[in-house]
Amino acid sequence: MRHHYWEWPIATYLFLGGMGGGMFFLAAVLSFIVFPEHAVMMGSALAWPIFLALVWLAFGCFLLVFELGQHAAFPLVFLNSIKSVLGHGARILVVCMVFGILWWVSYLPWGWISGLAGFLATFRSINLFIAGVAGFCIMLYTGIFLSTLKAHSFWATPALPVLFTVSATSTACACIMLALGCTWLYPDAAPIALAAIAGLAEEAHELLHTLDIILICVEIIVLLVMVLSFVCAGNKTAQAAANRWVRGSYKLLFWGGMICCGLLLPLAFNLCGLSAPAAVLALCGGLLLRFLVIFTDDRAEVPGETKYFTRLKKVGEPGSEFMTKWTDIENIY
Amino acid sequence: MTRYVMVIDKRRCIGCHSCTVACRTWNKLPMDIVYNPVLTEGVQGKWPNVHREWTPMLCQHCEKPACVPACPTGASIKDEDGTVWVDYKKCMACKACVNACPYGMRDVSKVEEFFHRFVRKCTFCRNARQINPDEMPYCVKTCHQKARIFGDLDDPNSEVSKIISSVRTERLLEDLGTEPQIYYVPDMGGRL
Repeated sequence: MRHHYWEWPIATYLFLGGMGGGMFFLAAVLSFIVFPEHAVMMGSALAWPIFLALVWLAFGCFLLVFELGQHAAFPLVFLNSIKSVLGHGARILVVCMVFGILWWVSYLPWGWISGLAGFLATFRSINLFIAGVAGFCIMLYTGIFLSTLKAHSFWATPALPVLFTVSATSTACACIMLALGCTWLYPDAAPIALAAIAGLAEEAHELLHTLDIILICVEIIVLLVMVLSFVCAGNKTAQAAANRWVRGSYKLLFWGGMICCGLLLPLAFNLCGLSAPAAVLALCGGLLLRFLVIFTDDRAEVPGETKYFTRLKKVGEPGSEFMTKWTDIENIY
Repeated sequence: MTRYVMVIDKRRCIGCHSCTVACRTWNKLPMDIVYNPVLTEGVQGKWPNVHREWTPMLCQHCEKPACVPACPTGASIKDEDGTVWVDYKKCMACKACVNACPYGMRDVSKVEEFFHRFVRKCTFCRNARQINPDEMPYCVKTCHQKARIFGDLDDPNSEVSKIISSVRTERLLEDLGTEPQIYYVPDMGGRL
């Protein structure tokens, strides 16, 4: 039966968190492994894409906190429970954002902040390294968190962290490619520096373009293997959920939206060299994937459960006014 | 050491929902929260061999609960006596535990104010036992069929120990490895 508690903010957060973390991870890979000799210039080229990553992470955190019932208890996430994957995720998010901001500030060109930027420039490498590692952990944890919820057969699979990580890296590639295309983001740079940065950005763009093609291919394989294995060999609950994707109410969103528009079309556009439309479609595909997964929240049914709960009135339904009239509720405050 | 468990004798349950009402009333629950629904699939079989079976539900107070490690704020707690409960002051209602529970026995009320919501669940009437350790959960006290039996599994003389050691009992969704502590005596199609 459906066990629906998480709404669109959580699905959007999973997408934004994965993409933001992936952008930090890719920034670290490009700076430390691909272009180590031009790390500073690479940083200049990636400063504004990384600003976008910070915005995505901040907005994702906002959505995550927005969904909570008691915001006053939120700080306890950082103090309690070593076992909770969600707690680790929150801590990693903060680490990534703090070190990401420190790295980004060191590239700000404005005069009023040049003192702080100059000071932080000394720690660029360590800041980016920590933010990159934390970004990779964010990509991983979103999938790991869902896969630990064994009540939901469709989520409790090792394929989900792999799928989310690949999808997050792919969407991060797409977002960086889109941002690198916007040269108007560097109005203050000197023409010579701008030319060098633009050249490096072009090289990075080419590399990400190739990487995105590979990632989309891997994502198609992992997604199809996961869903079709559930259809053929999953338990009863997972089979019902996967059948909804393949031939049920989600079939149009899965085959048309996810597979065709979110993966195959971006792959075709990328192969034709049209990276901008490919990137936009890949981002839409990534968001749709998170929504489809979060809304596939089937749980094994205890006999009679569906019959019982579907007959109960829900708050907000016509005729449910009596539910809010009852005031003899335990007061814990 | 004390280890509280509940035995539910499905042969005795007649589906009167008294336990549901008693729990709701004594625990002052919001109208959209039910801690112990009494489930049924309806009438089974073909006349004249018809039968109806009831499954009274509640939090399974698992030995290895999935909800407790999922909680990021440490609000979900498992006591040494086996009771799993939520510290309302620490709960931020992220619903991680709600999604982790394989039995769907945790819920967040939508009746309460938006910024004052938390996860609610059965606590084996822990608050009543804190006042009087011999106090029984309200659902047990109310069950006039004596279908719900509560006690200490580690006490060999307790009624629950005797039933569990002598009668075939079942637990829900055992394959998930949560080791639920609610033991059901199966109905066997109406045959005692």
